[in-house]
Amino acid sequence: MHGDILTPLVMGILLGGLYALIALGLSMIFGVMRLINLAHGDLVVLGSYLSYALLSYFGLDPILGLIITIPVLFGLGFFIQQFLLKRAFAISAEAPLIIAFGIALIIQNGVQIGFSPLLRGITTSYSMASFNLGSLQFPVSYLLDFIVALIVMLAFREFFTRTYMGRAITAASQNKKAAQLMGINTKMIYGFAFGLAMISAAIAGTFMGMTFPFTPVSGTQFLIIAFGVVIIGGLGSLLGTFLGGLILGLVQTLTAYYFGSATQMLFVYLAVLIVLAIRPQGLFGR
Amino acid sequence: MKSLISKISPGYLVTAVALILLAVLPVANMPRAWILYVLLFLIYLAMANMWNLIAGYAGLISLAAPAFLGIAGYTLALSTWFGIPWWAGLIGGAILAGIFAYLMSFAVFRLSGVYFSIGTLVVPEVLRQVFYLWRPVNLPLTGGGAGYTIKGVSGLSMGQIYWMALAVAILSAVVIRIVLRSNLGLGLAAVRDNQRAAASSGVNTFRIKLYPFIISAILTGLAGGLFFVYQQYIEPGSTFNVKWTMIILLSTVIGGLRTEGGPIIGSIVVVFLYFLLARYGNYSLLLQGVILIVIMLLSPQGLVGIAQRYSLFNRFMAWMGKPLIAAK
Repeated sequence: MHGDILTPLVMGILLGGLYALIALGLSMIFGVMRLINLAHGDLVVLGSYLSYALLSYFGLDPILGLIITIPVLFGLGFFIQQFLLKRAFAISAEAPLIIAFGIALIIQNGVQIGFSPLLRGITTSYSMASFNLGSLQFPVSYLLDFIVALIVMLAFREFFTRTYMGRAITAASQNKKAAQLMGINTKMIYGFAFGLAMISAAIAGTFMGMTFPFTPVSGTQFLIIAFGVVIIGGLGSLLGTFLGGLILGLVQTLTAYYFGSATQMLFVYLAVLIVLAIRPQGLFGR
Repeated sequence: MKSLISKISPGYLVTAVALILLAVLPVANMPRAWILYVLLFLIYLAMANMWNLIAGYAGLISLAAPAFLGIAGYTLALSTWFGIPWWAGLIGGAILAGIFAYLMSFAVFRLSGVYFSIGTLVVPEVLRQVFYLWRPVNLPLTGGGAGYTIKGVSGLSMGQIYWMALAVAILSAVVIRIVLRSNLGLGLAAVRDNQRAAASSGVNTFRIKLYPFIISAILTGLAGGLFFVYQQYIEPGSTFNVKWTMIILLSTVIGGLRTEGGPIIGSIVVVFLYFLLARYGNYSLLLQGVILIVIMLLSPQGLVGIAQRYSLFNRFMAWMGKPLIAAK
């Protein structure tokens, strides 16, 4: 019994890293422009498909392929913000939501046309391998997710505290007018912020694709997970996002352990709903 | 009597002619496919009208429509398995969808804006998982992911289902009109424009949103139930599917959110695109996504909003509303 419970515990914590990574972009976009990007899950899955395409058509290793997927998604994010969402914000409160929904629709069906609705997975030699911890065995991909999540989150933190662009984004998200008075070009800032969020989506999508099989409609699932992480962790705090990821990861693996794997997503969704109903500002929010 | 006659305007006549044409369609020896497309139009229209009520007029961007139509559909399907006639299951399903909306409101009405949207998005996902696992009928090849056939509806003709859908679509339009012209409609406008000001003027902002939410759940459930009567089959994957939300959202936004005619025009466009690109389902949805974005950016009030920019359209609408016989 002792050894058994350890497996879901470790798996849940490692998985939590991946979930935090998926949620990072959503949290950033919300923090900077007060928008819950309904297309976030689909953009993450688009990242998975890009890496999948690079691997299966050009034999490019997905981690090496990030050199291509990151700029592509950054550009896409910049375009979405500067040409679509920026205008939508000026129209009405619901316009950005509906536009994001339209983007989700386009990505889902575009991917379905390009890659068929079949289940895909990014398979490399190391993503299939496993490592030992005592007498227990864990997939390497989970460990990789966790380490990458830590690195990306630390890198983002450094970026936001140390670079000009990072500070400018923080300033614009706190007070747009004051930021403008300080000489910050807020017109471009939001585009960069969205692009940065998409960088995290590209990385999250790539590693997600190595961990789980995915389909063109997986986006909704990851949107809810990302949203759940953000809700549990509270907004604007990297540590909160990380803890939120760990909690959802543990909910998933522990319920799978106790009630069977068929129920795991149900419990994850229920956890999100319960937190929403009881503490919409998040467990760690103010 | 005289006052009644003086109310008759070209608009009423056009509506009456359109309704008569729609009503005789099944007996007019039309190709079966055409009747199917109009049937889909009527079902989408009823749902789009209801979404317009809560999203357009109450300002709640709800993404929970699949939950309501799914609950109604499953109530219908399961009750036929337990010997209850289909029509009772259909009505019971709509009522249950309304009760579910009421229960759901305790959780999601604490949220506002995007939080509300995502909260409502989670609900159908949860229900899909529940209906994958929950098997009230313990037989092989039924329940769970295999779904249920709906018993006792094979005797219904396409025309009968069509007429029921027509009735539900008309009902949805009438309900919107009644709601908007009542105190409830006034309260909704007040809350949508400024919730705080409305609350301090004595409007119960929780209740005023709750009623339309429940009404929309009931009618969405009824329309969904009819779809499953037509389909004679229900399973969780395609029922609690975001595809429904997309159809409803597209129908409303393309036509024109917060306009009475919007859902009608939008549903026609959506069904037409479906018809035109029937063989390329994904291209059709992709194109609809592009149309959704373009319409939203160019004309947030949809096609109706575009038409309203032309004085010819406005003069025509004014003429349509004028009584034929001037009141003395």
